Amino acid sequence: MIELEEALRRKEIWAIGGGKGGIGKSLITGNVGICLARLKKKVLLVDADLGGANLHTTLGIGLPEMTLSDFLNRRAENIQDVIIKTGIPNLSLISGAQDFLDAANPNFSQKTRLLRHLEAVDVDYILLDLGAGTTHNILDFFLFSDHGILVVLPEPTAIENAYRFIKSAFYRRFKKVVNHQGIKDLIDAAMDQKNTMGIRTPFDLIERVKQLEREVGEILELEILKFKPKLIVNQVRTKHDVQIGFSMKSACQKYFGINLEYLGYVEYDDCVWQSIRSKRPLSLEYPYSRPSRCIERIVHNLLRKEQLTPTMLY
Amino acid sequence: MIKKIDDLNFYELLEINPRASSQEVHKAYERVRRIYEPNSIALYSLFTAEETAKIRQKIEDAYRTLAYDDNRRRYDRMLKEQEETPEPEPLVPAPRYERHYQPVRPAPAPQTHEDDEPIPVEPLEAHEDQPAPAPVEPVRPAPAPRTEVVEFTGMAIRVLREQAGLSIRNVADTTKIGSRYLEYIELENFAKLPPRAYLRGFLLQYAKLLGVDPERLAGDYLKRYEAASQKTK
Repeated sequence: MIELEEALRRKEIWAIGGGKGGIGKSLITGNVGICLARLKKKVLLVDADLGGANLHTTLGIGLPEMTLSDFLNRRAENIQDVIIKTGIPNLSLISGAQDFLDAANPNFSQKTRLLRHLEAVDVDYILLDLGAGTTHNILDFFLFSDHGILVVLPEPTAIENAYRFIKSAFYRRFKKVVNHQGIKDLIDAAMDQKNTMGIRTPFDLIERVKQLEREVGEILELEILKFKPKLIVNQVRTKHDVQIGFSMKSACQKYFGINLEYLGYVEYDDCVWQSIRSKRPLSLEYPYSRPSRCIERIVHNLLRKEQLTPTMLY
Repeated sequence: MIKKIDDLNFYELLEINPRASSQEVHKAYERVRRIYEPNSIALYSLFTAEETAKIRQKIEDAYRTLAYDDNRRRYDRMLKEQEETPEPEPLVPAPRYERHYQPVRPAPAPQTHEDDEPIPVEPLEAHEDQPAPAPVEPVRPAPAPRTEVVEFTGMAIRVLREQAGLSIRNVADTTKIGSRYLEYIELENFAKLPPRAYLRGFLLQYAKLLGVDPERLAGDYLKRYEAASQKTK
């Protein structure tokens, strides 16, 4: 706890995503939020899962009157109007869109307006709960935040989606730093795994870009180094499952060249399911359960900018 | 600088420091080998079976090179020479990860390794690409020593810890010593440290983790501890 105080100064935006649905993004977002609020930090949770919002349910709040879609459609002028209290001290919430079909796909000006307003809110932490999938909106929120956190389950389906998410996210980031239209097209083409140019990995792409324009290739290399998504493995049942986080870290380093930080894991326990059934937040209903402890540890790692190391397993 | 998997040297492949002890090499090998097992789900959708097999072969090569002192010395020398002679621009780009992948080696070596007799390592692959280096003088500088510590002060311990790439939290998790005490040890905040007997126990454990002589570290540090407590009396 010694250096915690200093870590808790500046406002930070954390985005929690992962590509696949039903892997515990909302649950982790909600409980990480509660954990931070308990550390006396002002936290705003934003349900950015515009298509299937249910962050409010993991917090045990009924259907809110004002939601993000009211803000996006300018039915509410100020972001303050859609921020609701959760009943937990220091923790407030912007609930996801409920009614507006097109809200799942806000346009660029709506997004920038939202981000600009979020920047101005007086809190210490903003947690964005992203939806499933790799649509541009989700990727943009992920890239915009200070820390992008990926949730996976120790299952091939979730892992496959997580890798696809990582790849989509940083190819999108590449496209944002590049102006050259030819290279943008090349990046688009590289997204297709079966492209005809033989570009299999990001390294192949960068090599190809360097042949076109050396400087741009070097910029992309720097971007790879700057891109440091974080990883949480949820529903861990065995030590072997814990190990998967380290394995993914190594595989990402070797395949993408990116540094995935292994923040922590959440153990599998029936109490998670029970807390969702009773519509009460896990951290309040079962504060001493193993999953709650795991989430606390994740929050500590996030605040200290640390990650798990393999030596802890031996 | 990012590197393709083919360009990683054996240390980078095993994710260890070039100064890693043989025990660390062994542990890293066990760990990395498990990651690149066939059907490892952490690799799902990233590497093809063929690529995984190739990586696995390279991991085996890395272990057989680094686990035996002679081989490792030879390899280190080669790395050093590569570093000194800047790599010439490859005239013909090596066909790597291309469609027509050809296994470099015949059938992989047997998986059992621990009790096998040392398998002589033939000139490493990297050699093949390059003109054989002229035999330099056989004496090689000692394998990059850690900063020689004259006296184990709190500061020195901290430097050693940072060199080992460990955070206070890591040390606390491994040794089960409270992170607060670890900090006091490094800051030489003697007044807050526990009685001598406990402190000595902590120091011995910490020294073992850092891979330095426990008696020397504890001896040095306790001398300073006593000198400070004399003064306050």
